[in-house]
Amino acid sequence: MTTPARRASMTAPIARDREIQDAREQLAASREILAALARDVADPGVVLETVLEYAARLCGAVAAQLFLLDGDVFRISRVAGETPEEYRLHLLEHPIERNRLSTVGRAAEDKRTVQIPDVLADANYGRPDLQQLTGFRTLLSTPLILQDEVVGVVSVWRTDVAPFDARERALLEEFAVQGAIALRQVELMRALETRGFELSDKVAQLEALREVDEAVGSSLDLDEVLERIVSNAVRLTNLGFGDITLSTDGGSILEYDETSETFHARGTFGSSPALLEQLNAVTIDGDTMVGRCAQADQPLAIPDLAAVERDAFLDLVFEDGWRSVLAIPMLRSDTIIGVLVIRRRGTGEFPADVVEMLETFASQSALAIVNARLFRELETKSRELEIASKHKSEFLASMSHELRTPLNAVIGFSEVLLERMFGELNERQDEYLRDIWNSGRHLLQLLNEILDLSKVEAGKMVLESNTFSVSSALDYTLAMVRERASSHAIKMTVDVAADVGTIEADELRFKQVLLNLLSNAVKFTPDGGSVSVRAYREATDLVVTVTDTGVGVPVEDQQRIFESFQQGHRGPAKEEGTGLGLTLSKRIVGLFGGRMWLDSTVGKGSTFGFSIPMAPAGTVEIPEGGDGIPVVVLVEDDRASLDLMSAYLDGSPIQVASATDGAQALELIRGALPAAVVLDLHLPVVDGWQVLAELKAGADTAGIPVIVASVVDERQRGLALGANAYLVKPVSRDELVDALQSVGVLS
Amino acid sequence: MTARILVVEDNPLNLKLVRDVLEIAGHHVVEACSGEEALRIAQDAAPDLVLMDLQLPGMDGTETMRKLRQGLLEDDTPVVAVTAFAMAEDRERVAQAGFDGHIAKPISVRELPDLVTGYLTKGGRGDG
Repeated sequence: MTTPARRASMTAPIARDREIQDAREQLAASREILAALARDVADPGVVLETVLEYAARLCGAVAAQLFLLDGDVFRISRVAGETPEEYRLHLLEHPIERNRLSTVGRAAEDKRTVQIPDVLADANYGRPDLQQLTGFRTLLSTPLILQDEVVGVVSVWRTDVAPFDARERALLEEFAVQGAIALRQVELMRALETRGFELSDKVAQLEALREVDEAVGSSLDLDEVLERIVSNAVRLTNLGFGDITLSTDGGSILEYDETSETFHARGTFGSSPALLEQLNAVTIDGDTMVGRCAQADQPLAIPDLAAVERDAFLDLVFEDGWRSVLAIPMLRSDTIIGVLVIRRRGTGEFPADVVEMLETFASQSALAIVNARLFRELETKSRELEIASKHKSEFLASMSHELRTPLNAVIGFSEVLLERMFGELNERQDEYLRDIWNSGRHLLQLLNEILDLSKVEAGKMVLESNTFSVSSALDYTLAMVRERASSHAIKMTVDVAADVGTIEADELRFKQVLLNLLSNAVKFTPDGGSVSVRAYREATDLVVTVTDTGVGVPVEDQQRIFESFQQGHRGPAKEEGTGLGLTLSKRIVGLFGGRMWLDSTVGKGSTFGFSIPMAPAGTVEIPEGGDGIPVVVLVEDDRASLDLMSAYLDGSPIQVASATDGAQALELIRGALPAAVVLDLHLPVVDGWQVLAELKAGADTAGIPVIVASVVDERQRGLALGANAYLVKPVSRDELVDALQSVGVLS
Repeated sequence: MTARILVVEDNPLNLKLVRDVLEIAGHHVVEACSGEEALRIAQDAAPDLVLMDLQLPGMDGTETMRKLRQGLLEDDTPVVAVTAFAMAEDRERVAQAGFDGHIAKPISVRELPDLVTGYLTKGGRGDG
């Protein structure tokens, strides 16, 4: 090759021609480099080789090399021109250090182009080994700089002492810039590609997991869930092997049965019916590859089934034409759930990233199985509970009839004698007969209340609404306790506000509640005290209060007193109560869509009050979700809680509708199809669990997010049954708003 | 006043109680332990009033009442239901079934004679 440097010293016209020629060549070189860049982005070699070739040629050098910085040394990356092979091999073994012993080192240190006109004349030149292998005399090196950092060096040399001129240096520097850009682009493209591959892997993985999550979240049966898990695992494996046909692999989940200590194929993918049949027939125990994998809690791969001793399980798989197997343990809190087995038609190691991916996947899947099992158990339990509850109701109904008949005889005959129908009684006889009669009445009342309560709890208490006068109902009930009150010198007063007229409700149940409060008041008021009844309107509610001058209820008993068989410490009662009256009354008031409360001061007395809507509960006004305002249904039987939650949501861009029992809630939700439901669990008529189950079973309502708000923390059960969030009462405003945000109702 | 009263009641103790109370009040009581027995003896007994338990083994009280009405009783003989169902809905059902009245269990020994007198003096069916 001729060196342009020497021709540059020729006459002017020739020099001009030369320049034009150079410029042309340079342009061509640039184009080619750019073309190489565009064409071979993935292969830096091609681009850099192009750069080097032109560098050598246009600079009139014998050879050109590209060194790339690797840690502290420069390694030879590419060569062009006449470069002896042994020189290249020698350089591989003895890279150039980053010091002043070479032009490469100097160019890197100074971050600029460095020339040694004659290495033999340079006392500081320290790589005679290289000089001897190539015979170079003049060396020119320029750094490749990316973001202020030297990443490599391009060198050209001549075997005679003929320094490169300014133009050649400029050219080499130009090539270095292009080389650096090429390197940079190649680097970027590579990073991008790696990232792209990672992303697409990640996307596939996430999609698979999402699908599994969906399967688990739906009410599919366990087999279907497992099948989806396996098919997704197989898909991921296929992707891991770069196989996009998705046709070659198969797999199954072998679920562990703790009782028999064996594994059973549950979900399968890409398996022939014959293989399935055989898998079901063979005993897969702890001694198989599957068992060992689970016990060790370690993935176990067999890259070539033909090369190993096969157990019963592996033999089956092998006979079916599979050549490699990967087993991934599925454990949950150290409990073996099962093993995920992936089979391949071909032999070969499973790549580490595939194994890693499947491990993540298997642990998710284990959770899925545990959840599905939990769900299944819950379903069975709910069914059992339902049956048990039905049996209980039937038992109570028949028991109450069987007990009532003889009780009626006890009460009736003692009454016959007390009425002196068969003659006079002495004092003792009269006293004992009164005891018999009282005990009989007491038992009967208890019986009736138990029956009523069981009706309420079974959701079978039907309210019969009719319109009646509130003051007449008060008078009627007062008449029933007046005699007892006057015999204890208890003064009774009634105050009915003028605007309390009639109410539409179940009259008999209304009187039952009132009678309970009145007889309690009389019972716990000392002789000479007073009991006053007030009735007034408050917005759309009727409020009735019964105030006594009794001993009062200590604060610690004020909640408990509404629970079954809790009479609280209200001092000596004049007669025994059933302990069910208040519980039943509160539940009945709940059925009315109202609430009951107690204000009491020890030593001063108590006020029991209840409020019920003047219009009957049970008629549901279905809100129109107009203007795109989302509707949120609050289901809550306790009026105070309902008011509080409504207040929390005041000012939020949502429309709130409410229901106070389960049946009403279902009607409302099915009609309104709200954006979300906030559900109390302890509900009259139909309980909250049942509401949740029915919503999740309904095609229209299954997708409505449900936020459970309950005093009982059964989060797991709630979430397993499909609730989107579970709040434990008391619920704060933030909790409620957060939960609504989490289901996308509030932003 | 003295009347002939047919009491249909399957429980012997209840039957005895009602009989004793009514006899002390001066009435004559004819007993039937089942609906079938009531149908057999009704014509001979020729009661002025029938007290009918609703929950009877075999033929129930309502059906017995309907059969009695088909010529076994005088047209103006009231038939009153005696039942433990005390709810408004039950009273309604009883009235709709065609009974002339309703007495709740447990019967009040003190009130029963007065209730019976009330039904007897209403002058028969139709305005109960």
